[in-house]
Amino acid sequence: MSASFPARDRVAIVGYGQSQVARHAPMPLGALAVATALDAIADAGLRVEQIDGVVASSLFPTAGDHAVEDGVSTVSANWLAEHLGLDPAYAAGFQGLGQIPGIVAMGVNAVMSGAAEHLLLLRALHNPKGRYHASAMTTARGAQQWTAPQGYFGPVAMIGLTYNEYVQRYGASREAMAAVVVEARKNGARIPWSYWRDQPLTVEDYLAAPLLADPICRFDCDIPVDGVAVFVLTTAERARDLPHRPVLVSGYASSQPTRRRLPMHWPLDDVMEAGTTLAGRLWQRSGVSPRQIELPQVYDGFSPFVYLWLESLGLCPVGEAHRLVLGGGIDSDAAGALPVLSGGGALGNGRMHGIPQLLECYLQLSERAGDRQRAGVHVGLAAHSSPHLGGAVVLRAGG
Amino acid sequence: MSRPVPEPDERSAGYWEAAASHVLTVAECSRCNGRTMPPDAVCPRCRSVDPQFRFVPVSGEGTVRSWTVIRQSFLPGFDVPFVLVDVALDDAADVRLIGRLVDGADAPLRQGDRVAVTFEDVADGVAVPAFTLAAQR
Repeated sequence: MSASFPARDRVAIVGYGQSQVARHAPMPLGALAVATALDAIADAGLRVEQIDGVVASSLFPTAGDHAVEDGVSTVSANWLAEHLGLDPAYAAGFQGLGQIPGIVAMGVNAVMSGAAEHLLLLRALHNPKGRYHASAMTTARGAQQWTAPQGYFGPVAMIGLTYNEYVQRYGASREAMAAVVVEARKNGARIPWSYWRDQPLTVEDYLAAPLLADPICRFDCDIPVDGVAVFVLTTAERARDLPHRPVLVSGYASSQPTRRRLPMHWPLDDVMEAGTTLAGRLWQRSGVSPRQIELPQVYDGFSPFVYLWLESLGLCPVGEAHRLVLGGGIDSDAAGALPVLSGGGALGNGRMHGIPQLLECYLQLSERAGDRQRAGVHVGLAAHSSPHLGGAVVLRAGG
Repeated sequence: MSRPVPEPDERSAGYWEAAASHVLTVAECSRCNGRTMPPDAVCPRCRSVDPQFRFVPVSGEGTVRSWTVIRQSFLPGFDVPFVLVDVALDDAADVRLIGRLVDGADAPLRQGDRVAVTFEDVADGVAVPAFTLAAQR
């Protein structure tokens, strides 16, 4: 057994802000971020003047031809700090993929080191005008010359190839994936700030949906939205004096693809190989095993990610996730099931890119989930992006 | 609207020149002879920072590992539906290419099907590799 991770359970989430999730927010994204940050700071029982750190990921996760403009289509740590009137001791942006474990890691590192005492984690998502992933390109240059002239472009085609590789290898049915999407939408429908509040989806509606890139249909894709979430971090010691039950970060890990591929090509074995390595790193750092995760929250920006995470994390055997879900194995209302989409995920909330998974862990572990409160959850996991280039965070209810 | 055409650069010029003559090539590192697609600034096998990738002709024969049927295109110039196949090349272990299956969306496909390269002339002097179902083993 390796030495314990020094930051394990030393940094806590002590408050949150979550904006309404809408197709188009009634104010510019940056203003929404400031409003959400003020909510989070007040929620944590702090004053703005006490905030001395900001960490954000400002990646605008689209393949389409859209301008990246700070405060409009994305919000950076420095933009937020400036518009909150902060002069932070530490402000930084995460540039990689797997933005949620990325910003959690940077925030934890900053608080642990003493670079900041009360730090905000920010993630702001935007739905631009026009088709989200569409491009009008006439010339493909750089990396895209190897795939776009051939007709391969955008994340829907990308996930179509990976998902179909899974389907062909394991015999997974659309009915199985319907169970995943219906589960996410069931829970998203119960969440007041969700885009899909009060709008569950039926299996019939799922199966009737037109295919976009076989076997991917419209409902396998999260809907682009405007939305912001902010979390407040501080040390576990300082958390004791703040109003809410702290949720401690036990560990975080991110992964890296192992093989050179054409751009945006995600062969199934690549995903599983790197995903399995990621999981091992996560257990070692957090000091937990898969069986101890009472509240796993897997990423679902595209529905097939649910299978890939279930299997990478060892929550079910490789190749069996489709059978697990078809049999009701992830029905969060059923005793003994794996409640992996109890927070609605991206499919159930809107394209909030890993936030719903982290937020559900926070709300449940701090016992702030109201009438959605689950009993007996002390250890959670929030996963983001693909297992082979995203990551996950393990969280634990504090004292 | 027409399909996007590739813009060859210093590293890729040899590839597109060969493609214009309907020859499929893959990048081979001059230091370790490892084959990689696409070529990179650093060889992913031997880590040479001066790999001097050269494009070597390959048979273009391979095996289908996956496919998807594109029914809504996010690029101009493609008529839907069309099929994209993910192919493992016989002549380059670990290299996978993606291209249109010219046989169309109604052609029955299975994992392991054999395909051969073909080319689509998309503009003057510009051809793009694609695939067609070959005699199955």
